[in-house]
Amino acid sequence: MRDAIDTWLTLIPALPLAAAVICGVLGPKVLRHQSHWPVILAFAGSFICSLLLLRDVYENQRQLEQSGAMVAGYEHVTNLWTWAAVPNAYDLGETIPGDGPTPAADTGWRNFRIDITLRADALTSMMLSMVTGVATLVAIFASGYMHGDRGYWRFFAYIAIFVFSMTMLVSVSNFVLLFVFWEAVGACSYLLIGYWYQKPEAAAAGKKAFLVNRVGDFGFLLGLFLIWSTYGTLNFHDTQANGDVVAVATEGSADAAAAADGEGGLVRGVLGQSRLKANDFVTGGLATAICLLLMLGACGKSAQFPLHVWLPDAMEGPTPVSALIHAATMVTAGVYMVTRCSPLFGASPEAQLVVAFIGGFTALLAGLIALTQFDLKRVLAYSTVSQLGYMFLALGAGTYAGITSGMYHLFTHAFFKALLFLGAGSVMHAMGNVIDMRQFSGLRRLMPYTYWTFLIGALALGGVFPFAGFWSKDAILGSVHDKVHAIDHELEHRSGHGKDHGDDHHPATDGKTHIENPLAHWSDAQLARYSKIYLALYYVGIFTAFLTAFYTFRAVFMTFFGEERIPPQAGHHAHESPPVMTGPLMVLSVAAALVGLIIEFGSGLFSAAQGNLLSWWLGHTPSLATGVVAATRVPGAFHLDVAALSTIVAVAGIVLAMYLYLGERVQAERLSKAFNLNSNGLFGSPYKASLNKFYIDEIYDWTIVQPLRLLAFIAAWFDRNVIDGLVNLTGWIPAAAGSLMRSLQMGLVQFYALAMVLGAVILIFARLMYAAG
Amino acid sequence: MTNEASLLYNYLMVGGALFALGMIGFLVRRNMIVMFLCAEMMLQGVSVSLVGWGRFHGDWGGQLLVIFIVTVAACEAGIAMALILMLAQRSGKLDATDWQQLREEGQPAYVDREVPEDPDYKEPVWPTLTPAGIEPPQDIEETLHRSRV
Repeated sequence: MRDAIDTWLTLIPALPLAAAVICGVLGPKVLRHQSHWPVILAFAGSFICSLLLLRDVYENQRQLEQSGAMVAGYEHVTNLWTWAAVPNAYDLGETIPGDGPTPAADTGWRNFRIDITLRADALTSMMLSMVTGVATLVAIFASGYMHGDRGYWRFFAYIAIFVFSMTMLVSVSNFVLLFVFWEAVGACSYLLIGYWYQKPEAAAAGKKAFLVNRVGDFGFLLGLFLIWSTYGTLNFHDTQANGDVVAVATEGSADAAAAADGEGGLVRGVLGQSRLKANDFVTGGLATAICLLLMLGACGKSAQFPLHVWLPDAMEGPTPVSALIHAATMVTAGVYMVTRCSPLFGASPEAQLVVAFIGGFTALLAGLIALTQFDLKRVLAYSTVSQLGYMFLALGAGTYAGITSGMYHLFTHAFFKALLFLGAGSVMHAMGNVIDMRQFSGLRRLMPYTYWTFLIGALALGGVFPFAGFWSKDAILGSVHDKVHAIDHELEHRSGHGKDHGDDHHPATDGKTHIENPLAHWSDAQLARYSKIYLALYYVGIFTAFLTAFYTFRAVFMTFFGEERIPPQAGHHAHESPPVMTGPLMVLSVAAALVGLIIEFGSGLFSAAQGNLLSWWLGHTPSLATGVVAATRVPGAFHLDVAALSTIVAVAGIVLAMYLYLGERVQAERLSKAFNLNSNGLFGSPYKASLNKFYIDEIYDWTIVQPLRLLAFIAAWFDRNVIDGLVNLTGWIPAAAGSLMRSLQMGLVQFYALAMVLGAVILIFARLMYAAG
Repeated sequence: MTNEASLLYNYLMVGGALFALGMIGFLVRRNMIVMFLCAEMMLQGVSVSLVGWGRFHGDWGGQLLVIFIVTVAACEAGIAMALILMLAQRSGKLDATDWQQLREEGQPAYVDREVPEDPDYKEPVWPTLTPAGIEPPQDIEETLHRSRV
């Protein structure tokens, strides 16, 4: 079983990589318009491998649970090869703060080793199957959508590299490799946004995405440095002193690890099981700094508020790319990373609050912008930003329910957002690459398959019972609601028992796991403040749910309802897309409709499962199985009140969209005029502010781009005049010296000969003088 | 002075004389062929002194070097003669000064000073002999061919 897991783990990224190489080498000359075959086959192979991995992980987890050895979750780490090894690279010294007594192994000189390690655990296996599954469908869709494109093979090679990088990103067990593949998916994103590089907008959008991501990556990198200097390792898993993997869970006994610890041979991984059990995480300002820097990286990759500006522009790429990379997979890397690092975030309530705040704010902001956009893909892009904001809001709650509901939303969102984007791609395909919703309408008879699947996606996104989005959005809102309750409960508890701050509590390190309530450390004023903020974020979430339903159905009504209009660009061949495109749409729509129901009510399928299937499954991840996060695990409850509220606002949003955009749209015009208060003022008109994305691009342009341009201009001037002047000066010196000697070149052979003779005489004379003296 | 030393002395005297004469000739003459011959003479002066040193030391080193020098000088002579021939064909002259336009731009040209006319100069009166025989006919071909030399 162990070898099988290694095989699946290796094959999942290896197959897309092989496909990318095949496409890159054979694509331009041999494969040409058959370039999709190796890629689709590789993706499907990876998908099968990840399902097998899921099965094996499940089997191993069950065995562990039955043997009673499931202490800190299940993980299986496999070491492919050592990438870098520096013996005695650094002195750990006293750098490990930690609350408890520092183990002997955590001090002294230590080897620095970066291994190519892959891990299999609940979180990774879930992400892998999601990524490869969606990628397979998108690749099939793309083989129809991209048909006849000049760079057909190039497209599929890029997509394959992307899937390789993404599968590696979610399965590596080391922060360095996480960063490497974090960058790799960014590079693929750049290549694919700028895929039509002859188009200036596409090239500019690719550049923008890359540059904005640099800001986030810089923060991420700083976060990694801080982790390294704090924890002395960058591995997720525990290692022996020589760097070899300590297989705790797979050996089936925690004693082995304990023994190794006792010998001073164990190096605790950053997210290792031994560290989780001992709850040996740095707290205070350092933890907040680490988490905020990691969050900056996540903001860049997952398009959260200060760095969200690249995602809507990224829609310049081919639509399958928007579906796969900029909706379903790559942009969720930030969510995955924060989930993976949830024990680190758990140590810093301040950072969690920031995460929740950024998430909630982004969700609201992007929702407001999406209200007025006319570009179908852009509406979906802003809704992606908004939904990612939801996920961060849930992660920021920091509770077990919050983190699992964030992942839950990630999972369902991948299906319905990929579905919506592919549907938009299908519309675009039929409309001759026109995507402006004002130029077409009433397509529901022309494109029945696209219409029905898009409608299912929209219902899921809008959060309508019983589609997938309803359940996951409800889980998020419920978890935030619970967070508020938990804080209020703690406050009440304190007022009942006097002020008990519990500062003298220390996490036990003596093998007996004792994780206290993380709220116990907070002061009353802090609790009250946090309670208010989380409550506000909860209402922001509810309001955003309303916005989501409204703008989604605005797009549906504008595109598929009303009188049938087709833009001239479509010509006479406006038609439903071929089966190769509608097929993936139908598969995804089935998933978008059913995946929520399966997760909510499918626990009967597995003997050990209980409650929410995904929440139960993720509970086996080491980061979530023990420690601070697990301490907040409460029996899952379906929040009827939250569900009722979110359903009401969703239906209200749909009804409003129906009222405004079905039929003549007179009311919509009137409404936009009503909000267009002061049409001349820059900020006087909410309608224009939303239409112009709240001028964030303009603000960035004036505060960052233009000053940097000025700096570049000055630097260029300095370079051209001062630096180049100095270089030219050095070039001028030999010429000046030469002009002094030039008069000697008089063209008379005898003169030259005489000069030579005199020179020789001087040399001989000097030699004689030297010999004599 | 031993016999060997005096022998070396003689060699060096001859070699030095050859070298000095060659050098003076090279410096003062403008005819390229003569200059080339002078250079060869300097080279032979060196060769002679090398042979002398070789003899003095009682080994073959000096003569070995001379053989190399002669070989290289032969090659050099071939190339030099070819070059001189080309130059002569271009300008019609063997005067090295004729190529002074290869000098650096802006440098003044060297102009041969004309010997001032001697006011007392009289056309010499040569003794005339009675012509003997018939003047041979001029070969047109040859005059054309040699006209520039």
